[in-house]
This record gives sequence, C-alpha cells and structure tokens, in this order.
Amino acid sequence: MLSEFAEKQKIPYPLLSDVDSDVIRHYGILNDQIEVGDAFLYGIPYPGVFVTDERGVVVAKFFHDSYKKRESPELLIDAALGRIELSDDAPRVDGGDAEVKITAAIHGGPGSIRQGIRREVVVRFELGDGLHIYDAPVPDGMVPTTVRVTGPAGLVVEDTIAPPTTPLRLASMDVELRVWSGTVDLRVPIYGAGELVSEVRPLDRDSISIDIEVRYQACDADTCLLPKTERLRIQVPLDVIDIPDISLHTGHGQRVGNYDGTRHLVRLFARKVLPHPLGFLKFLAKSIRLERAARRRGADRA
Amino acid sequence: MTIERDELGFDAPAPLGHPGRLGLRPGREIGPAVGERLPDFELPDASGRRVRFHEDRGDAKSAVVFYRSAVW
Repeated sequence: MLSEFAEKQKIPYPLLSDVDSDVIRHYGILNDQIEVGDAFLYGIPYPGVFVTDERGVVVAKFFHDSYKKRESPELLIDAALGRIELSDDAPRVDGGDAEVKITAAIHGGPGSIRQGIRREVVVRFELGDGLHIYDAPVPDGMVPTTVRVTGPAGLVVEDTIAPPTTPLRLASMDVELRVWSGTVDLRVPIYGAGELVSEVRPLDRDSISIDIEVRYQACDADTCLLPKTERLRIQVPLDVIDIPDISLHTGHGQRVGNYDGTRHLVRLFARKVLPHPLGFLKFLAKSIRLERAARRRGADRA
Repeated sequence: MTIERDELGFDAPAPLGHPGRLGLRPGREIGPAVGERLPDFELPDASGRRVRFHEDRGDAKSAVVFYRSAVW
C-alpha cells in the first residue's frame, strides 16, 4: 500500500510502517484517547514532527492541539537549517526604500492557504550597513518593529516569531535596547480554518488578500531615520486538501487522490476490528450517539 | 457521517467527539523533548527493507514525521 502511495504521490523519502505502533508507544505519542475497538483508529499517533541535527538530537518539534494543524515541509527544512529559505516562486511583494529593503512572502508549499496547513508570512528586512531596528520594549519616542497580518474571517494568524536580538547599550539614555541588523526575518504563522477554506465544502473563491502592516524605525550609531509604516498586500490562492479515493471521505469538494485506499482499509479492519468484536460494538454505539447529538445541534449531513 | 466544525474552527466529515477527531489537549507535551537524542528504531520501509534510523541517517540531519495514515 505504502509503495503505491509513494509512487503515485511521488514521495522521495522513506515511508516506514509501524504496524504494531511499537515505535509510536516507545516515543510516547500514541493517541491515548482512542480505545481498542475504535474501528481502524486504534494505534495511531498524535501526528507531529521531530527535526534533529546531525547527532540525532531534537532541535525542533511540532505537535499541535489538533491533528488538522500540520507544518508545511519548508518550515521543517528551515528548522533543520536554522535559516529561512524563501522560494523564488513564493507569492511576494516588495517594499521599503534604499536604506531598508522589505520583502513579504507567503512561505511554505506553493504559497496557498489550505485548512490547517501552516505556512508563514515572512517579512524580510535587509538593512543597510550600520543600520539596526528595534525589538520591543523601547523607551518613549522610539518605535519597535512590529508586523501585523490580517485577512478574511477564517484566516488564523499566530504570534510573530523573531530571531534572537543583540543588545545595544545607549549610554546617553542609560538603557539597553534589543536590536536586529543585517537581514532580519520576522515570521508570522498562518493557516486557514473551515470558515475560509473548509475541507468538506467546495471553495467559494479562488484567492484572498492578506494585508501586512509593517512598522519600524531604523537607526545607526548616531542618528535615526523617520519611523515608517508600510502596508503591503499579497494575493494568495486557496487550495483544497488531497484525500484518498475511498467512499468514507469523497464527495466534499476535496481533491481526490489517484490512490485507492479501500484494499488497505479492508486489511486494517481485519487486523484491528475483528479481534475486538465487543470493542467495535461499543464503537458503533458511540458513533450512533455522537451522530444523534450532532443532528440535534443541527449539523449538516454529509 | 455528519460534518461539524470544532472549537478550533476546523471542519471534518465526522461529528464532534468522534475518536478520529480527538487531538492533544492544549499545552500537553508528548514525546522526546528538544535537546534529547531521538530513541533509535528499526522499521520496514515501503519495499520491506529494514531501516535503522540512526545508522541509516549517517551524519545527516533528519525530520521524523509521524502521521496517522496514508490512506484515510
């Protein structure tokens, strides 16, 4: 099954099978809210990623409060490299001036918005020689660097991630400030929720505008340039998710993959359900109860 | 199955509370922490070859992705 999946999805990295969930258990990431008998679900991990250095030591890990939230592969590569590798074809817009060049780009995948798939709005400052910009907090009268990302309802915008600062002592004011110089990437993670880009309804538009307001003040050792507010806008395509061609999932406006999971599901059923008939009966009863509760709440029938 | 939107705003073709939709409680930490060496493991790849993680990785950095299924 995995070999067919890898071939059809053109996956170049190894796909491993943890059939009995031994590694998943050893790592302590088994989904412990799923019970034996819960159809073919029992044994799955909480999905997530560990990124390691050359010694195999974890340098970053990505586990979320929803299995829908997943990192774009580019964000994993950034974590491994310790720098942001912007693709040339990422949707982007340029701003700034001769002293401070600013680029905003949608980083990750093809730069599209999909339900739960985390991309980043990367705002790159390229500061002229000797110039620096400030992280908050700053004394009155100075302007810290801020990035504010806004979009339509259902675009989820997380907190800005900034690189480490260097301290700068201002003897005249007796304060120590935190500054960035050279090339500075401020990253704002974003993803779509169901209101904007559902995975169970066809898209109602092709793309959205994302507005990025950048505020900063650049200074050198002697003088400061005027504070600036830059308003940038990027048009970003929406995209559906890919799903396997099995009746369980199809028919909701997603992109149906060219691989058929039915054979695998039958095998999973035989392995995980048949040995636990009582657990499965409990699962069926639970499913019926949940379905009824959902209908009482007035949810859609799929 | 019934389509419902959860408290995080995600849509899925299953009712709320369905085992397949249960995620980590916010703030709960699981798995090896940043700074720890990943435990070694040996698993078959898609062609049946046994992959020994640290040995096969050699001196390369790695991303170990745990996913729920390729097919559902």
